[in-house]
Amino acid sequence: MSEPLADGVGVARAHHFESVAQQREAATLGIWAWLITELLLFAALFLVALITRIQHPEATVAAAKHLKFWIGATNTVVLICSSLTMSMAIEFSRMGWQRAMVRAMLATAALGGLFLVLKGYEYYADWAEHMMPFLSDRPFALAETPAARLFVNLYYVATLLHALHLFTGITLLLGMTWMAARAGFLARHQNWIEVYGLYWHFIDLVWILAFPILYVVNR
Amino acid sequence: MSASGSVGGTARREPHAPESTIGRKSDYLHAESTLRSWFLTTDHKRIAILYLASITGFFVIGALAAGVVRLALIVPNGAIMTNDTYNKAFTIHGVVMVWFFLIPSIPATFGNFLIPLMIGARDLAFPKLNLTSWYVFMAGALFTLVSVVLGGVDTGWTFYAPLSTAFSNTWVLPALIGVTIVGFSSILTGLNFVVTIHTMRAPGMTWFKLPIFVWAHYATSLIFLLATPVITTALILLIAERAFHIGVFDPAYGGDPVLFQHLFWFYSHPAVYIMVLPGMGVISEIVPAFAQKKLFGYRFVAYASIGLASVTFFVWGHHMFVNGQSDLASLVFSALSFAVAVPSAVKVYNWTATIHKGALRLDTPMLYAMGYIGLFVLGGLTGLYLATLAINQHIHATYFVVAHFHYIMVGGTVLAFLGGLHFWWPKFTGRMYSEPWGRVSALLIFLGFNVTFFPQFILGYLGMPRRYATYPAEFQLLNVLSSAGATILAAGYLFPMLYLVYSLWFGRKAPANPWNAKGLEWETSSPPPTHNFLSPPEVPRIPYDYPIQAQEARDQHG
Ligand code: HEM
Ligand SMILES: [Cu+2]
Repeated sequence: MSEPLADGVGVARAHHFESVAQQREAATLGIWAWLITELLLFAALFLVALITRIQHPEATVAAAKHLKFWIGATNTVVLICSSLTMSMAIEFSRMGWQRAMVRAMLATAALGGLFLVLKGYEYYADWAEHMMPFLSDRPFALAETPAARLFVNLYYVATLLHALHLFTGITLLLGMTWMAARAGFLARHQNWIEVYGLYWHFIDLVWILAFPILYVVNR
Repeated sequence: MSASGSVGGTARREPHAPESTIGRKSDYLHAESTLRSWFLTTDHKRIAILYLASITGFFVIGALAAGVVRLALIVPNGAIMTNDTYNKAFTIHGVVMVWFFLIPSIPATFGNFLIPLMIGARDLAFPKLNLTSWYVFMAGALFTLVSVVLGGVDTGWTFYAPLSTAFSNTWVLPALIGVTIVGFSSILTGLNFVVTIHTMRAPGMTWFKLPIFVWAHYATSLIFLLATPVITTALILLIAERAFHIGVFDPAYGGDPVLFQHLFWFYSHPAVYIMVLPGMGVISEIVPAFAQKKLFGYRFVAYASIGLASVTFFVWGHHMFVNGQSDLASLVFSALSFAVAVPSAVKVYNWTATIHKGALRLDTPMLYAMGYIGLFVLGGLTGLYLATLAINQHIHATYFVVAHFHYIMVGGTVLAFLGGLHFWWPKFTGRMYSEPWGRVSALLIFLGFNVTFFPQFILGYLGMPRRYATYPAEFQLLNVLSSAGATILAAGYLFPMLYLVYSLWFGRKAPANPWNAKGLEWETSSPPPTHNFLSPPEVPRIPYDYPIQAQEARDQHG
């Protein structure tokens, strides 16, 4: 561990591990492996979106211009802030400052919630502007160029998948905050906070990739 | 709490074979016996047994569907069943066999049971996650089977778009959702194995002392981790397209069907090695034990596992030679496909060299292993035909392909599975199976398999396309032969189910190490205690420390 831990902060050894060091190593490796699979899940989508852009620049730019750039940009800032609060939660957990940690975790969850609200509003605006070609009762606002439609479809799948991750992430975070607020938590499970923190940063990272690929390129 | 397992010094290790512990409270089977203790267990050995029972059930379902397919093909004119029924039968056969039997078979059962034992650990790194992945697996598989109960699916196991998204009016959606869910179970299992192999090895168990079985599972787990997410994406897109018309494959939604094939085969070609690599791991344990000889070229076999796992990601395009990809792409994919043959050949060569001048015993596991090598070689060689551009034009989508993949996947995985099942049965259950019956069924399966599938090479070469319920009358003889072979094969599968189950109650009690095999799993009692080892196991000086040593081993270790 890079940071020294405060007194009363640590990890209880589970029966099948030889040592706490081994247990920590396993947890860290496990979360990294999981993050790689998650990244690949999104990578295929992003790759297809990029190829579509390269092959059909005009149609995709026309479609991308309809995306709500300012909402996307604000959401990027919101998520970066949430990564910051999550990092603070990890620092506090290492120092044994349980109350501060819990507050930082709640702030993180709140920022995540704000993201979802803004995203929801963006979807609503898309709907109002007839930018949902899969709804048969709402004719697509752009001329039916297949590439534009493909790009818009990819945008929905990618952002919905991201929103689903964020939603799951917030639920897990709130559950963990509830447990972490109890006495003695930090003495037994401090590494949960670290491991979870990596997951949160990952959700943030996916958005940081999605934003330029979907909203910004060629704008 | 101990860190013994000192390595140096101990020159010759007498197997301090512990007694059988059947019926004692400490063995994992009898430690607790409530249903709850099975369905909420976090013991990797019990989870392995849960998987074993479930995939056996799926195998039976898949085999029944195969029986229906072979029944239909006895007559050329499709008189026995409608085209619709035929399509549903071969689809459910493929879906169940590939996704719910072949892929999880060896990793989820043997891998789960043996990896911690072989590396001297008390469990996998994440026991609860392990149990979770069994539940995820069952949920996904049952979800898919719901679609069968409702009326079936007719897209084939590959779910090609736009048939699966727009044209099929069968129960595609539950099948797709089920397969997607099962993918997560693979990912979780792979993740657990990778972390376990990295972090849980007993002191002294270095990478180059690991059994090849562990190496093979390490390579397989990397494929699980790196390829499965891509097919998950593809399946999610299929679901979105079919359910909500948010599409990227159907041209009507602006999409591109070839894109689906890229995403699909980017996973599914590596998936072939998910099915084959663990089998190779099993064979690499059986062959030295029954030749009582050190595995020839241990390091090369280990490297070949990783080599296969890497190259396999770059050959998916050989499924698309005739789908309008560019000629250059086809050439590159063709060349790369030939490259895959190299590590495979290394393995075959090393097994053969191990058998050579060994003290050979032809017990059931070894019979399966030899059958495996034979079928795998034929399957592999015909793969080279398919990877050759010009020949592929002729035999693409014919029965030649069907024969090829059955030789690889059934020959390669099912035979290894059965060989491994017999090899480790005493360890799993504490009982010995009936050796004569074991040999009879091994021979029946080998015979039945060849009678079933060899004629299909000829049929394919003569031009009979796959996935049709009718065919020109001149192909009937070979088809009847194939169906007759399937009957023999079915008998061959039935026998083990009977005598293995019989042995659970009436079999002779197994000693800790009935084969005089090496490897830490044989150091503990049969069946093992809940925490695997009563005292910390002693890591051997060299891997495969058998009495007959190849020259190379002496050179390496002075
Ligand atoms: C019991 C003996 C078996 C028989 C008689 C049999 C028969 C068949 C036949 C006739 C087909 C071709 C269907 C078609 O394309 O029209 C087929 C396809 C297939 N079989 Fe088998 N099979 C058997 C065992 C297995 C096993 C054990 C596995 C896997 C473990 C397997 C995996 C597959 C796969 C993946 C396909 C491709 C399905 C598709 O292309 O849609 N088969 N089988
Ligand atoms: Cu392939």
